[in-house]
Amino acid sequence: MSEIIEKRIGRYETLLREMWAASSKYLGTFSVNLLVERVVWEVSLEYKEIELLQFDQNGISCAKMAARLEENPDLPVEDMFMKFITRYVEILARLLGYERAEEIKKKLDEEFAGDPFVSRGDERWRG
Amino acid sequence: MHTNLLLSVPVRYWQDFQDTLARATNANIYIFDANGAPFSRFSLPAELCREVNKGRELHNEKCIDFYKLACGSLEEKDMLTCPYGLKLCAYRLGSHAQRIGYLMVAPSRHTTLVEREEEIAFITKAHNIYRTINEVFSAILEKNLLGLRRLELNSIYEISRLMTSIVELDRVLELITNSLIIIYQADLCFVGLREGDKIRVAQGKGVHGSQLIGKEWPLVHPLIERIFSKVEPSSLSIEELKVLPGFTGTEAAPGTEIMVYPLWTALGIVGLLGIAAPASLGDNGSKNLQIYINFAAVALANATLIRRLEREAETDYLTGFLNKRVLRDVLAAELQRAARYGYHLSVIFLDIDDFKAYNDTFGHLAGDVVLQKTAELIKNSIRTTDIACRYGGEEFIIILPGTKGGDAAKVAERIRKSIETYPFPHRRITASLGVAQAKKDDSVESLLARADQACYQAKEQGKNHLYLEPS
Repeated sequence: MSEIIEKRIGRYETLLREMWAASSKYLGTFSVNLLVERVVWEVSLEYKEIELLQFDQNGISCAKMAARLEENPDLPVEDMFMKFITRYVEILARLLGYERAEEIKKKLDEEFAGDPFVSRGDERWRG
Repeated sequence: MHTNLLLSVPVRYWQDFQDTLARATNANIYIFDANGAPFSRFSLPAELCREVNKGRELHNEKCIDFYKLACGSLEEKDMLTCPYGLKLCAYRLGSHAQRIGYLMVAPSRHTTLVEREEEIAFITKAHNIYRTINEVFSAILEKNLLGLRRLELNSIYEISRLMTSIVELDRVLELITNSLIIIYQADLCFVGLREGDKIRVAQGKGVHGSQLIGKEWPLVHPLIERIFSKVEPSSLSIEELKVLPGFTGTEAAPGTEIMVYPLWTALGIVGLLGIAAPASLGDNGSKNLQIYINFAAVALANATLIRRLEREAETDYLTGFLNKRVLRDVLAAELQRAARYGYHLSVIFLDIDDFKAYNDTFGHLAGDVVLQKTAELIKNSIRTTDIACRYGGEEFIIILPGTKGGDAAKVAERIRKSIETYPFPHRRITASLGVAQAKKDDSVESLLARADQACYQAKEQGKNHLYLEPS
């Protein structure tokens, strides 16, 4: 695998693994697996390639995604991962409450300074 | 669920398709989502549109307001005139039940369509465009919906397997609420369990979910009665739910509905489950959710029953204190904790004086009253962190974590006095109490034996005494 691709995918893989570990601590692996499956399905409506993300009870791997990126360097992995992470954290916030989700968001912010990962929830609700 | 989730189409691919169709039909096409917000750009904007919006996207305030209003009030189709005099055909995409967006078709050049023939030709062209686009959207929607149903069914299958193997109530509650929020992207999900004549909210997740936990709703409350008067779920607005504690301060946008499912099994009412009504559920989706709810009811009934049995196995029926069976485990854990964190631990051994004679004279029922009242007096004299157990017959053990022997003796004296002064039926009741402080390397047996010995010393001193084992 070329160094550039490894770099492009590697940072996301690290991030996803951190997210996986942090959310498993609170939700358990079954719920985290379900959450990943849900978000993969949702993002796959726009980016079919997200289905190359491998996940099971043991964690997440981007190996297949990296191989595809080698074949097609134009793959919009950044957009795809940003969408995945944003949706993941949005649902996570509902499950854990915004305080705990904020802790996880902080970790993400450290990794990706300035990227707005978490929205403040559903505007339909107040009070 | 997002209104437009099922119509999740990559806009950049869609725009190519839309522009090709516009070129082929020589018409301007513009699409809005279900909320009236632009979904794509103008395909072949008339010069006037391009001029007032400075490009192929909607920027002009007048235009934005016009389209928003037009989408909001459109029933099925209409012929409209824009604020700049351009005539256009407007169509609703999707069905009444599932509005997926709006289509606007306008001539590619500015015309007022004054000629009747010209107007008829344009309307026919617009209608053909509408049919094509609606077909394409319906196909995408159908495909996405199938994907969602497959995801739901797979999840339900996995969860049903898991739920039948988990017996811990907290884990079952967590699993149910988590999976419903994940699968249906519900804003709120809560589970209330039946406790006697009321429903107590045991778990709540999502927006305001945590505010509901612990809230109690009587079964005779008119709204709760209404929910349990049928097998099907009740669709309730936030306004209707505000009569229940926990929902009082909640405000939500108009139209937000909560589906409240009564949870029944062959044994009767288990509780209820509420979920902020997922959009786009449809008939099959509702059935899938109902299957899930049925599994949840059985899993909750099993877990509740097991928890009750476990509690009953640990608790003394008469006094509500822990019984001798669990005392050893609890004391062993406290001894370990005290050793690890280096804090003190004391134990009080209490024996009611001459209880056998009381029982023989006034009967077992009167004896039971004495035991119950003594337990109540003990409970009132200790902290919530202290642990009281019925050791057997008329003997009680009180474990006081973080307490030195001298302080435990003060507690013991408080208990002794409260028993001595309480007006028990028939005659005065007293108790003898022995206090022992845990030593390094103490085992459960050695500590209990020393506390028992101290109690024996108190009896030796003439009963109604307390004896603190010398350190």
